Amino acid sequence: MSLLQVQDLAVRHDGEIVFAPACASFTVSPGEVVLLLGPSGSGKSTLALTLNGLIPHDVEAEVRGSVTVGGMDAASTPVARLATRVGMVFQDPDAQLVTGTVLDEVAFGPENLRRPVSEVLARSEDALRRVGLWERRDDSPDALSGGGRQRLAIAAALALGSPLLVLDEPTANLDPHGVDEVYATLAEIVAAGDRAVVLVEHNLDQAIGFVDRVVVMDAVGRTIAEGPAADILRARAAELHELGVWLPTATLAALRLRRAGYALDPLPLTPEELRSALEGEPPAVPPVVERGPKARVETPRHPGFDSVTSLARGATGVDIPPLAPRAPEARDETPEVAVAVRHLTLRRGKAEVLHDVRLDIHPGEFVAVVGANGAGKTSLLHAIAGVVRPPRGTVSVGGADVARARDLTNRIGFVFQNPEHQFVTHTVRDELAYGLRHLPADEADVRVDDVLHRFGLADRADVHPFLLSGGQKRRLSVGTALVAGAPVLALDEPTFGQDRARADELLGLLTDLNRDGTTVIVVTHDMQLVAEHASRTILLDDGRVLADGPTSAVFADDELIARAGLRPPPLRAALGGLARHPELDGVVRLADLPGGRA
Amino acid sequence: MTAVPAAGPARFLHGLNPLAKLLTPLPAMLLLIFVRDLATPLAFLVLAYALLLAGARITARTLVMLLVVVPALVAIMTVGFALWTDPAGIAHDVVVLRIGDWTLYGAAVLIGLATGLRLASIVALALIAGLTTTGQDLARSLVQQLRVPYRVGYTAIAAFRFVPRFRRELEVIRQAHRVRGQARGPLAALGRGFGYTVPLLAGAIRHAERVALAMDARAFGAYPDRTERHEVPFRTRDTVFIVLLLAASAALFAVFWPWGL
Repeated sequence: MSLLQVQDLAVRHDGEIVFAPACASFTVSPGEVVLLLGPSGSGKSTLALTLNGLIPHDVEAEVRGSVTVGGMDAASTPVARLATRVGMVFQDPDAQLVTGTVLDEVAFGPENLRRPVSEVLARSEDALRRVGLWERRDDSPDALSGGGRQRLAIAAALALGSPLLVLDEPTANLDPHGVDEVYATLAEIVAAGDRAVVLVEHNLDQAIGFVDRVVVMDAVGRTIAEGPAADILRARAAELHELGVWLPTATLAALRLRRAGYALDPLPLTPEELRSALEGEPPAVPPVVERGPKARVETPRHPGFDSVTSLARGATGVDIPPLAPRAPEARDETPEVAVAVRHLTLRRGKAEVLHDVRLDIHPGEFVAVVGANGAGKTSLLHAIAGVVRPPRGTVSVGGADVARARDLTNRIGFVFQNPEHQFVTHTVRDELAYGLRHLPADEADVRVDDVLHRFGLADRADVHPFLLSGGQKRRLSVGTALVAGAPVLALDEPTFGQDRARADELLGLLTDLNRDGTTVIVVTHDMQLVAEHASRTILLDDGRVLADGPTSAVFADDELIARAGLRPPPLRAALGGLARHPELDGVVRLADLPGGRA
Repeated sequence: MTAVPAAGPARFLHGLNPLAKLLTPLPAMLLLIFVRDLATPLAFLVLAYALLLAGARITARTLVMLLVVVPALVAIMTVGFALWTDPAGIAHDVVVLRIGDWTLYGAAVLIGLATGLRLASIVALALIAGLTTTGQDLARSLVQQLRVPYRVGYTAIAAFRFVPRFRRELEVIRQAHRVRGQARGPLAALGRGFGYTVPLLAGAIRHAERVALAMDARAFGAYPDRTERHEVPFRTRDTVFIVLLLAASAALFAVFWPWGL
């Protein structure tokens, strides 16, 4: 008998017009790992919340069709009873921990079920041992790393004894190390074979290894495929990609290479498979590859009109017309160096977090700052943008000393992780005008209108910033950072904790802005993001610049990447040092592979 | 919450029921509001300090609280009330300070000192529970002894975890607003503080909703009660503590009888 049966499920949230998912049907058998795929907006997370009855019991929504869990109808059974059948793990580890110690946390569920103390302890110990946290049972959850806290959340779900675990984007809030930890833990749980898993995840590169079956939904949330993961992904990868479904990077690369004449049959799903498939076939006919560093040497562009036509569409679907031309005098004095850092040594408390850093960033560059946790990435970015004032004479932006400049908002814009943190007024229009309060009113109005249109916010001008959608908030936060005319944009972990769709939208926006001349500096953990978008990568390790150069060159040095405590992006893992295809060795960006636009 | 420091023996106040520590000093605290002399609050201050120094784990935080914060409170109140007291209604026989036309009388200083000591004694009595009780234990004893519904008690426990999160979030919001450029001055500071509340509240509500979902997903509220691994017992020693502290309070009031009746 199946553990879970979803039949013609349609869900409409209160206040929404459309049902998403619109018509989902699938089953899950004991011990099986099912990956839920579908483009953004197909309702994957909503579907996950119906599996243990949180929708409609806790979250108001209209539900049609049925969800049956272990013979119980989810819509009419209390969530507390369903909890013994379905364990849930959510995206944000901090938002699912409720007690003061690791042991109390895991015991919380069994205690609610009124199990005797001895059984509570036995279950808790078992669950903690399975995720490798038993030794830390007396610690506060706050003492664990992000990955550790998410493992704890998994243990808390295991301790309920439910035969089915549902995980909704469990790694979206984690750094690469945390992602590894969570996947190692999940792989062990799956290997034990006593729990079935339903997984919603965009990071397929690590998940695909232990997934048994996939369920694919289309853009409106109808099930269009259900079956063994390898069969469906291999047979229908191109179709799924068209649909906007996330695919493993290795598969995307293989699709591209096939167009360039490589056979690659069967289609690889993991970096290892791609690697061995490539080693197993002779070089393809046209092995002319544009290599990253060479391809990215571009003539410096002037901010201004130049790229009106090239800008029309980003990956966002939101049209972003180019920046209004800046005042001519501003363009004339475009400095040679956008950001110059000299002998920057920074302390936080007693610890020295940056040691004698020196670097130059040129106008028009798209720079990624990467490094392990605690390497000083955010501190460096804060010093550059003046969030934390650096010592005098160490950082200059657009020729002005950041430690002394009073007009910093005209020189560099800073975008925080959570856009809401930056909003200071009550309407979208005021939010933009806030950065222009020293300008005459009429001039400010013109600029505000310009930015409203550029960022697709014109029809939301009088709305409170907090009432915007997530994507609109993000666009507004970027707009406020740039409205004063800052030619440099600095972003701290802009994709952290966001689903893939929103992350892609933001990157489309950044790419467009960069193409239009804005210098972009981004601190991130997301190596594939870096590889795909940044022309230059600065690798920090323990407060020092370990490497600084074209992105592909930095990622080509495996030893360097490992020394900095990072993982190479998946393409690098698949293509680095290929013996039979030297033409592909060193490619880290999908865009640099032969085969045209994927 | 912070870990229990390794140093120091288990002092007796920590082993008492949180409700006993919280509620027993209450009558004395209420009565102290209505005394006006110096001796009574001083006596209660000494009593509370004696209890804390003998029965609480001495950590840096405890010491700072007892030796810096409370004395500073007395000093500030003394000076503040001494300056504020209307000189028309008090004795003018002792002059402490004279600047031009303005005179500071000894009686005003005594009124200030009495006020400061009164407040300090009330604070010190509250610290008996405050310095020796964790929020979790208080919530548990509310559920176990006062029969507060556990949904309320344990939601309160979950809320304790919000505090450090909000502190971090507030820090980030301040940075973010500073980056946007801010006006200076005290009025602007008021506006800034108000400006922080909207994003903080929005984040808090969203966070609370998520936590609520996560708690329900783990069968919170499945039954009218739940297994309790941490008993917060009410023992004979709690009764002894209550009787002794009440008796001591009554004795102090009887000896000093500060109401002149």
